[in-house]
Amino acid sequence: MILSLSWRNIWRNKTRSLVVLSAIALGLWGGVTSMALINGWIKQRTNDIFRNELSHIQIHSPEFLLNEEVDKLFAFDSVQNVLKAIPDIVGYSGRLKLFAMAQSDRANSGMYLLGVNPEDEKNISGIPESIMLGSFLEGSHRIPSLVLGKEAAEELKLVNYEITDKVIECFAERDTTLTKYLSSLSGKQFRSRSALVNELKHSLSNEKHNRWIDAIVDSSARYRLNSAVFFTFQTPQGEMQNAMFRVRGVYRTSNSSFDSRMAFVNINDLASIANIESNHVHEVAVLCSNYENANQIAKSIAEKIGHLEVRSWGQISPEIKFYTAFGDFMGLIYVMIILFALAFGIVNTTMMSVLERYREFGMLMAIGMNRFRVFSMIMLESVLLTFTGGILGLLFSAVFIKIFEISGIDFSVWAEGFEAIGYSPVVYPHITVSNYVVIVLLVILTGILASLWPARKALRLNPMQALRIE
Amino acid sequence: MAIIEVVSLDKIYNDSAVEVTALKNINLSISSGEFTAIVGPSGSGKTTLLNLIGGLDYPTSGKIRVGDVWLNELKGFRLIDFRLHNIGFVFQSYNLIPVLTALENVELIMQLQGVSAKERRKRATELLHRVGLGDRCDSRPSKLSGGQQQRVAVARALASKPKYILADEPTANLDGKSTETLLNVMEELNRDEGVTFIFSTHDQRVINRARRVVLLEDGYINSDTFN
Ligand SMILES: Nc1ncnc2c1ncn2[C@@H]1O[C@H](COP(=O)(O)OP(=O)(O)O)[C@@H](O)[C@H]1O
Ligand SMILES: [Mg+2]
Repeated sequence: MILSLSWRNIWRNKTRSLVVLSAIALGLWGGVTSMALINGWIKQRTNDIFRNELSHIQIHSPEFLLNEEVDKLFAFDSVQNVLKAIPDIVGYSGRLKLFAMAQSDRANSGMYLLGVNPEDEKNISGIPESIMLGSFLEGSHRIPSLVLGKEAAEELKLVNYEITDKVIECFAERDTTLTKYLSSLSGKQFRSRSALVNELKHSLSNEKHNRWIDAIVDSSARYRLNSAVFFTFQTPQGEMQNAMFRVRGVYRTSNSSFDSRMAFVNINDLASIANIESNHVHEVAVLCSNYENANQIAKSIAEKIGHLEVRSWGQISPEIKFYTAFGDFMGLIYVMIILFALAFGIVNTTMMSVLERYREFGMLMAIGMNRFRVFSMIMLESVLLTFTGGILGLLFSAVFIKIFEISGIDFSVWAEGFEAIGYSPVVYPHITVSNYVVIVLLVILTGILASLWPARKALRLNPMQALRIE
Repeated sequence: MAIIEVVSLDKIYNDSAVEVTALKNINLSISSGEFTAIVGPSGSGKTTLLNLIGGLDYPTSGKIRVGDVWLNELKGFRLIDFRLHNIGFVFQSYNLIPVLTALENVELIMQLQGVSAKERRKRATELLHRVGLGDRCDSRPSKLSGGQQQRVAVARALASKPKYILADEPTANLDGKSTETLLNVMEELNRDEGVTFIFSTHDQRVINRARRVVLLEDGYINSDTFN
């Protein structure tokens, strides 16, 4: 009956309660949605890192980890047999990894050559899906194929820049004033990014330059597929080896320094050129069905292959854990600030309702309701009000998040440059049950705290005075 | 033995700039089963006396015994608890909680006492019948007349099984007919079940129905007559 009494008391002043209720609902909706967006974005980013760079588990010979020496190899077969038997593993890929000097017809640069089996790699890595041009080590060729990152291709000057009619047309749609400047450069070829950037700098205003430069440069880039690149590296026998590859694919991830460092070739091509026994690898990358299990799975792998170093992502890159924790923390701070602001409204409403019922409280205390019960009643009303608003807000959020969890929210309208640096402009909001639980607890706590002042006011009342009729 | 014993009671209000002596040397003893009116003009100290007997305020000097308890020895929670279990109150107005039905208003006090839900409902229904409101159990106070509201308040006061019921000008806001009905109900309860009523009034028709009349004048007991 006390609960229903509190509930009815809330609705004594319908308008006032509805206003606070909607404020709480809307405020929380905003807070929780922002939290889900931050979470979702961080989840995407960590997922990118897992898929493109780290995988969930990496296996090396312990000596290889010291200096990455070419001769620290191990047999893939034995490891493969162990991995096959573990059900939570989605895929694995054995890799050769050696440092090499790359030389094109125009420039040179140092990078890692990763020898991979394309089929295995597709199971665990996002790189084959990040191909922007050409293909990922498909088909067989007399001269072996090479897949470069976008940055590496630029560093090796394997890109020409040209303002074609198509580029002009494309930008005419977005900003007509660009047409004139772009037309004046039509047909000219630039051998490097900076050459084109400099040219545009002269003809464009600063503001326009900053706004459009990345987009213009990206769309006028012509990658010279099939160019030859020579690699020089050391074999396990300690000899220098020279080999020619042809660029047959260019990939791009959100991490440009990764893109400048990692070049992919077929493991069989690399093994035969580098004189490495087939089926021997430097590294095995493993992807699990859930990244949270990686640590446990890594341990069980390590038990079965004692001579190798098995590390989970948490050991390779502990800062990733921090990102997730930081995201949760940011989201909570957000929600807390919103609740703090809402608390003023709740205090106000509860206070008004207490003051209006001064005589009633006097009467209740006179007939025998003790201070503790009066206090509880006011607190219950405040908590009920806050909680109802909170639940409404969480329901809105849950529906909103459910809808956009699958389709995502496209931010490209607001974030022009987002895509240019390789981030997806679509964010998929994500929130966990434990996030909800924490928010509900915070909401209840807000209700309790907001009731303290009004309740104190009620407790100070003297029943005899409150009932006195002047 | 008297259930209420008031011994040389003084009450001086000094919370405002001027000191007001509301009660001066009151000696009074009230027995179980009385139907007593405290009467006197406005400002004579009726409310003050009832508040003191009801444990809502402390005297400046003097003592009040209820049963075998001296009220001045009870503080805070224990005093509130004493009121809850021993004294029934009917006020001039604001007796009922507007969002609760008549029945729930009567039940509320028993809930405070920790009576089980089933028994609460049974007793509340019974009491509302007793005061002639058996058919208005589910009405909210706003749907009841002033007289009916006061009768619900009497039922509520009775629900806690108190030693006595204090009613401060219970009929002040009522018309003649409602006053009549309320007094009939109170009289009946007093006669048939021995419920002790102490009520204040300055209405002659009400005074006429009391069996004992204590007349206050400027804080003194001027006369104390049994009819
Ligand atoms: N809380 C109070 N503070 C100051 N004076 C009071 C207070 N309550 C009552 N009084 C004064 O005490 C006197 C008696 O008042 P009261 O007991 O209310 O009389 P009655 O109920 O007979 O009208 C009056 O003069 C009144 O002004
Ligand atoms: Mg009075």
